[in-house]
Amino acid sequence: MSVQEVITENNSDRGLRWYSRREPVILLVLSTMAVASFLAVSGLSKAYKRQQQELGQEWFTRAVADQEGGDLRRAVTEFEAAQLYARGNFVYQLKLAQTLAALGRADEAYSYLLNLREQQPDNGTVNLELARILAKKGDIDSAIRYYHDAIYAVWDTDPEKQRRTVRLELVTFLLQQNAKTQAESELIALQASLPPDVALRTRVGNLFLKTQDFERALAEFRTALNLDRRNAAALAGAGRAAFELGRYNVAQRYLESALAANASDADSANLLKTARLVLQLDPSRRHISAAKRSKIVLSAFNTAGERLQTCNLPTMSGAQGLSTTTQEPSLAVRWKAMKPKLTELELRRNPDLAENAMDLVFDIEQQTSAQCGSPQGADLALLLISRLHESNER
Amino acid sequence: MTELSELQSMGTALEGESIHPGTNPQKHLPHTLFRSFFQEERFFLILSVFIGIFSGLAVVCFRYAIDWSRIYLLGSETTASPWRLILAPTLAGLVIAVLVIHVFPQSRGSGVNQTKAALYIYNGYIPFRTAVGKFITSSLAIGSGHSLGPEDPSLQIGAALASILGRRLHLSRDRMRLIAPVGAAAGLAAAFNAPISAVLFVIEEVIGRWSAGILGSVVLSAVSSVVVMRAFLGAESLFRVPPISRVRPAELLAFAALGIVGGLAASVFSWGIVRLRPRLKALPKWTQYFQPALAGVAIGIIGALGFPQVMGAGYEFMDQAIHNQFTWEVLGILAGLKIIATIASFVSGTPGGMFAPALFIGAMLGAAVGGVEHQLLPHLIGSEGTYALVGMGVLFAGFLRAPMTSVFMVLELSGNYSVIVPVIVANTFAYVISRWLQPTPIFDVLTQQDGLDLPSMEELREADVLRVEDAMQPVKDPVLDADDPLERAAQQADKAQSDHLLVRVRPAGWSVISKQELRTMVGEGKGELTLRSLLRVPQISYLHPDYSLDAALRQAYRWPLVPVVSRADYQKLEGVITQQDVLDRYRAVSEM
Repeated sequence: MSVQEVITENNSDRGLRWYSRREPVILLVLSTMAVASFLAVSGLSKAYKRQQQELGQEWFTRAVADQEGGDLRRAVTEFEAAQLYARGNFVYQLKLAQTLAALGRADEAYSYLLNLREQQPDNGTVNLELARILAKKGDIDSAIRYYHDAIYAVWDTDPEKQRRTVRLELVTFLLQQNAKTQAESELIALQASLPPDVALRTRVGNLFLKTQDFERALAEFRTALNLDRRNAAALAGAGRAAFELGRYNVAQRYLESALAANASDADSANLLKTARLVLQLDPSRRHISAAKRSKIVLSAFNTAGERLQTCNLPTMSGAQGLSTTTQEPSLAVRWKAMKPKLTELELRRNPDLAENAMDLVFDIEQQTSAQCGSPQGADLALLLISRLHESNER
Repeated sequence: MTELSELQSMGTALEGESIHPGTNPQKHLPHTLFRSFFQEERFFLILSVFIGIFSGLAVVCFRYAIDWSRIYLLGSETTASPWRLILAPTLAGLVIAVLVIHVFPQSRGSGVNQTKAALYIYNGYIPFRTAVGKFITSSLAIGSGHSLGPEDPSLQIGAALASILGRRLHLSRDRMRLIAPVGAAAGLAAAFNAPISAVLFVIEEVIGRWSAGILGSVVLSAVSSVVVMRAFLGAESLFRVPPISRVRPAELLAFAALGIVGGLAASVFSWGIVRLRPRLKALPKWTQYFQPALAGVAIGIIGALGFPQVMGAGYEFMDQAIHNQFTWEVLGILAGLKIIATIASFVSGTPGGMFAPALFIGAMLGAAVGGVEHQLLPHLIGSEGTYALVGMGVLFAGFLRAPMTSVFMVLELSGNYSVIVPVIVANTFAYVISRWLQPTPIFDVLTQQDGLDLPSMEELREADVLRVEDAMQPVKDPVLDADDPLERAAQQADKAQSDHLLVRVRPAGWSVISKQELRTMVGEGKGELTLRSLLRVPQISYLHPDYSLDAALRQAYRWPLVPVVSRADYQKLEGVITQQDVLDRYRAVSEM
């Protein structure tokens, strides 16, 4: 470094050095100016924020009104305007996301919701909305995850009810996906915390019916009936549950009560008709005479024969009347072979014949049911009786 | 005492005299401690914090002014009526033209270039009127829907405030030159809510060199302005960034394609400004009253035709693009229309910046390219939001030619480091293509069009640094040893071609002696004494091969011969250098 350089540098900093002797004063002045400016901008900021808040609230109110009025497109624009003035407002963003989702703009709603979830991971509504969007998208695993997050999330109002509602929605979703076991486990978890509410109990009972857990379904309907004996939906549900469990007497009783409470319940009427037929056509039921039993067997045999003819099973046309799959005599051959032997007298004399005849009837009903679809009327009743017998034998 | 140590002691004396005139520092210890704390460097750092605070406050007010302009001119709804969309920018354009022509003539043009001009030409001077003009005209322009951004004016407002503060404090010329970039960084940091990007941009595009002194001040001002801004406007970044999944290696090809498209778009954007700006400036002066208004009409029509997104800075729409809220066709149209609208606004002389429009175009283009690629290769391509983010960086690299800033800006805005590789890949392509199609960066072209001669930061960055190894010569003459008798040294010197010889002074020093001196001393009968005892200059400076030639010149003019030694072994001679060698090298380079 030359002498000249040193001198130049010293000269150039002389002004600053002059001030550096007065730094306390300068710093005091600068600090005072900074504080004064800060206060002035704070005043301005308050006015700005007040205006922004008012505008945000104004647009939000309009948006909610339009949303409730069904004008979702306009509501979205207004929610966006509200957002513009209250950037980061959780409620506005959530409403916007919900409206977008309702409009089918799932991707936009999804991105808003993800952002909201980052802010409040435990928010029940956000998790539920995310679950719904992913459920619609078909991302089942993620949807279930978000449903569970929603169930265990924080809810501001009536958390128990909200969690129940979400779990019921999850069960419905699982049933749509045919995940009956998962749905059943969710229902069992839900069952423990159900309040004494007839409609809710009946709904849960119906969901148990869909998961094919008929015992729990019947229990739920019975609980509902304890609260309201004449509740038509609960009676119908109990009737169906008992019917599915093969308890046709119980089913008949519930279904009769259901029809008494609601005569227009066609499903219950059909079920009742079938239940009565089952009870009538079952030759093994107690407290009937031998003659009556023989008549029932003969009637069942003839019904099965007609079903056999109507169904026209492919094996019936096999060479020499043998079944193409088992090389055993076909059902038709067996039926024709047995037909001449079956008289009321012979049936009364030979109980084994009655049993063989009913076995053939059950075979016919089961095979025709597999080949030609679900039967109706007496055939359906015979099929149900066959299943009942099978389960009793087991 | 060597010449250097003499100079150093002289400098210290001067310094001491000026700081403590007529006093003994040892006698006033508390006062001395107080003095040493408030040394110039530290005082400048403290001043940088105040610059940041004032700039941050100014930027907050500027943001409020833009929002109020928008609300009162375009209404509080997201999309105004078609007539309002056309009338607001048109009428605002007329007012802006009158203000720019008659009241604030300096508010026209790029704030980056004006800050550079303050640094390199005007010794840090930026008139207060420029800041006021930028504030009023830019807020009016952006608020009324002109396709411009608030970052460039914020940068200039920060620089102007710093300049005013520097002038009031009568800072030295060197400090005054630095103070404008310090304010510029503060203004930009507050506008972007991104201090790292602001610091990098100012270093990369305004100052053009890194040094600890500058960096400290720039960082302090940027950070303090961001803190102030966040106190009023919140800590949220400009965009809500969705979760970004890890990018697969094969997807980098898709990002390279985005870089190519971005580079082409940046070139078209630059080309439009470069061609049209001088033509409009060359029109009769009376037309300048109507140019911003005509640009306003054009932009208003675009808005009324169903694309109001191109009006103003458009941050909320960039946010929507990041969140896949447009189809790729709409995104492509928006990118194209934004280029047209921004060119119209900027070349008409309407004050405002091009940072936000560049980000807008990049976001739309990125999301559009991502959307197309997603349709073609649905299993390969990730979220379009990632492409929108990368697209912003691409335009920044291609259009503004700030490669470092473009990378860090995306990282800072996204807060996600998994995008770093895609950003680097895409930006590199965009930068290379843009340089190929538009060799001169946009800021340099604008400077030339304004008749100024400012250093090109791109050229500075890429200038070849000449080093000692480029000019040094191999050692041809014998090297004397300081412990040898003078007689023997003189015999060795007789074999040398040059007049001066190097003397190795163990354990790790070097000196130089002339043949004439040796002969004289031998003649005086000192032949049996060691050379060490007779050396007039016991130690001279030495250089390493990687030193800059500039550093070599400072040494070479003081000594006839300077040793160039290895960094690993100071006694190992790599070569020698003289003042003539340095000058010959500079001459050779200038003739190339």
